[in-house]
Amino acid sequence: MARSGVRLPVRLAEYVAAGLQTGFILAALVLGCPAPAAAQVDFSGQWAPVYHEDNAERIPGPELGDYTGLPLNDAARLQADSWDADRISVVSPYQCRPHSADYGMRGLGNLRVWADLDEKQQLVAFHTYMPAWGSERTIWMDGRPHPPDYAEYTFQGFSTGVWEGNMLTITTTHLKTDYYRRNGVPASDKRTLVEHWTRHADFLTVVTVVTDPVFLTEPLVRSQNWFNDVGQALPAFNCEYASELPGAQKVPNHLPGTNPYLTEFADWYGLELAAARGGAETMYPEYRLKMGAPHSKPPDRCKRYCTCGGGFNCDVNPARR
Amino acid sequence: MGTLTNRLVPALAVAGAFALRASASQGPPPPAAARGAELNVLPVQGAVSMLAGAGANITLQIGKDGVLLVDTPPAALVPQVLAEIRRLSDRPIRYLVNTSLDAEHIGGNAALVGPAAGRGTGGAPFGTIGPNRPAIVAHENVLNRLSASQPPTPAAALPTTTYFQASMDFFFNGEPVVVLHAPRAHTDGDSIVWFRRSDVLSVGDLVRLDRYPDIDLARGGSVDGLIAALDRIIEITVPERLQDGGTRVIVGHGRLCNEADIVEYRDMVAIIRDRVADLVKKGQTLEQVKTAKPSRDYDTRYGSGDAMTEAVYRSLTEKRGTT
Amino acid sequence: MTARVQRLITAAGLLAAVGVWAQGPPPPGPPRSPKAAAPVDLTGYWVSVIAEDWRWRMVTPLKGDSASVPVTPEGRKLLEAWDPAKDEAAGVQCKAYGAAGLMRLPGRLHITWQDDTTLKVETDAGTQTRLFRFGGTPPPAEKPSWQGYSVANWERPPVTPGAPPTLPIFATRIGTRGRSLEVTTTHLRPGYLRKNGVPYGDKVSLTEYFDYYKEPNGDEWFTVTTIVRDPQYLNGPFITSSDFKKEPDGSKWRPTPCAAR
Repeated sequence: MARSGVRLPVRLAEYVAAGLQTGFILAALVLGCPAPAAAQVDFSGQWAPVYHEDNAERIPGPELGDYTGLPLNDAARLQADSWDADRISVVSPYQCRPHSADYGMRGLGNLRVWADLDEKQQLVAFHTYMPAWGSERTIWMDGRPHPPDYAEYTFQGFSTGVWEGNMLTITTTHLKTDYYRRNGVPASDKRTLVEHWTRHADFLTVVTVVTDPVFLTEPLVRSQNWFNDVGQALPAFNCEYASELPGAQKVPNHLPGTNPYLTEFADWYGLELAAARGGAETMYPEYRLKMGAPHSKPPDRCKRYCTCGGGFNCDVNPARR
Repeated sequence: MGTLTNRLVPALAVAGAFALRASASQGPPPPAAARGAELNVLPVQGAVSMLAGAGANITLQIGKDGVLLVDTPPAALVPQVLAEIRRLSDRPIRYLVNTSLDAEHIGGNAALVGPAAGRGTGGAPFGTIGPNRPAIVAHENVLNRLSASQPPTPAAALPTTTYFQASMDFFFNGEPVVVLHAPRAHTDGDSIVWFRRSDVLSVGDLVRLDRYPDIDLARGGSVDGLIAALDRIIEITVPERLQDGGTRVIVGHGRLCNEADIVEYRDMVAIIRDRVADLVKKGQTLEQVKTAKPSRDYDTRYGSGDAMTEAVYRSLTEKRGTT
Repeated sequence: MTARVQRLITAAGLLAAVGVWAQGPPPPGPPRSPKAAAPVDLTGYWVSVIAEDWRWRMVTPLKGDSASVPVTPEGRKLLEAWDPAKDEAAGVQCKAYGAAGLMRLPGRLHITWQDDTTLKVETDAGTQTRLFRFGGTPPPAEKPSWQGYSVANWERPPVTPGAPPTLPIFATRIGTRGRSLEVTTTHLRPGYLRKNGVPYGDKVSLTEYFDYYKEPNGDEWFTVTTIVRDPQYLNGPFITSSDFKKEPDGSKWRPTPCAAR
């Protein structure tokens, strides 16, 4: 009897301990995977770009001298005025130069996104791939800092992301020199890119905010859309350099004041020339109060890229001249 | 009691681990805090690293054969630089390669070879790599100009191994090291150091990203020579994939680069040259050219373009003999 | 301890763990009004910043220019026949100021809470007013109007449409706190997506998402993603996103009437 009296409390303790052990282990399994950070969204998937804004600029390409909607300074304007498209052929490294992370989200953007999770199912990074120049980017979600300024810059830069509710805010630094528009408007290597990604059902909206102390007088804010396309498959991108235009100027460029093409855009679309030259002032509603007359008599109707729709059905009216 | 211990202790351990897990910070631990010193070593590729923060960038090639530096820090920073090198290797410094004769690229020459070492003074004989005396490699024009400088350059700082042809090379730490002359570029004594297996170029002040290039006409530099040197760098570099990666270029000042960065830089120099040449052709004076500000679209990136404009103007007009 | 007892203890532990998990968070208090529950503050004065589609928004585009819009052949016929003089004569100068095109026009917005369940959006361009009503549905006799009838909600976490109920064993739900305002608009009068007569008809429906963000320099913005569906004049959803920057006050507010040109 004395022996059982001693054993009963021990047995009770054993039962309690066993229950605790089992309960804790099971609770750890059920609850131990930490709850995701508030309002995480999974952006994984295949995303097809929607070109329902600036289709003609983003697909066939921008007209020379079209700087509308860009908060450029004079330095950017002169660099764009000096740009000659032959440069892409003559300077062979430009033939395979990719879009940078900021232009990539603006220009040609079939996109695949996938997530990297660690063994604890914590999101370490999102990755993006665009077949346009085979651009791959990593968006680090693990809180790591950006590299120092003397580290290498790349076309996709170094990106980190944080959640703001259901919005993913991405900051990208270390971007190489590139362009804001494919008609020579330059983007400097001093710029930083902030993006805001939101997913609404099967639509993705990405806002890009670029701050560039070298070429922009205020941040350039643009927004782009994709839809979830489960049938999309993205190819690899191959590019090889080729020698073109032998004997051409080493770095094709127009000397200041000599580019003969800078008024075409304003004339084709019936615009004031100053408006075509861009600048932050031209982006606000009050500019319409001071906007001057078109540079030349406007055509009576659209004659160029009038029907660029959701796909590639753009046609340039061959009778434009 | 043993049974109780066997059950209770693991239970408490699991509970404790669970509690710790709930309060642990998310994500990996933060990286190691940056060193308090201003110097930072960035591994580049292969055996080559870049040491930043000592004024101009210094290239380090480290391996079983020893240590090679391209360019040296100011003398006052030599002890700190040596300390950084010693973190990476305890092998002797065998080579110092000077990309030019700029003071901020050769300031540590004498200190790194030892103040007592000199040419033919009882130390290691001229041109020989003694056990404690690195060879100082540079183009012959560097030696010529430093030898004639006023005030005189200390003997210990003078190059001990020079070349006068297009290039020289040697094998070190498992790879060919090719030193290429860039004639009449930033100066007339510029060298491009090419680590062939590591696939890295060290180019000194042929490229600097903090301001316009210094075309040192007094010491034999010229704008056309600088453009030719940049073209040569572009010719050697090979990007890995679509203009990213591949051959890395350690520049005199600024971040680690590759071909795409050098192309943009070369284009800038070439375009400014074209504009100045056009104004020279129209008969404009230096003051008129400076007033036209031919570099104004690059000034927001590289700073005032007056010195660059003047150097390009003089380089073109002196070439024509119209100074 | 016998094996039977061990099994009982294990089962009890399991039930206890699941019970703790299944309880979830404590029960919520009384529901808050949409105004009180607003996860972001969209009130104030906002200006459209035209960095995209500049020549289709800042000026009236040339006749026949429907670039970027996926118009059907029927829609194309209408836009080729656009005549602003006829619109003026018919008193429908506001056709381009209907809800489906309004947010693309350059101008300013003044957003306020009309009451706890209605967000009011006024525009100086065309002096239009939109009411975003939280909850409910359009009244059966609602007449079409330029701004239609808008139903709003703070966007809920995503769920696969039409999916059966699931038991989230070892899983949680994502998107637990949306910050977006979702607005669905119907009962619109036929209007224009652009001032040069790119049409939408009476079968149009509009879905918008308003997303607020703040930049490191302190600027506050929202982007409205607009999805226009019109089976008659569009051969697919027409999707645009328009960006607005907050202004400190209404000093630049400048009401202007509708204009057909």
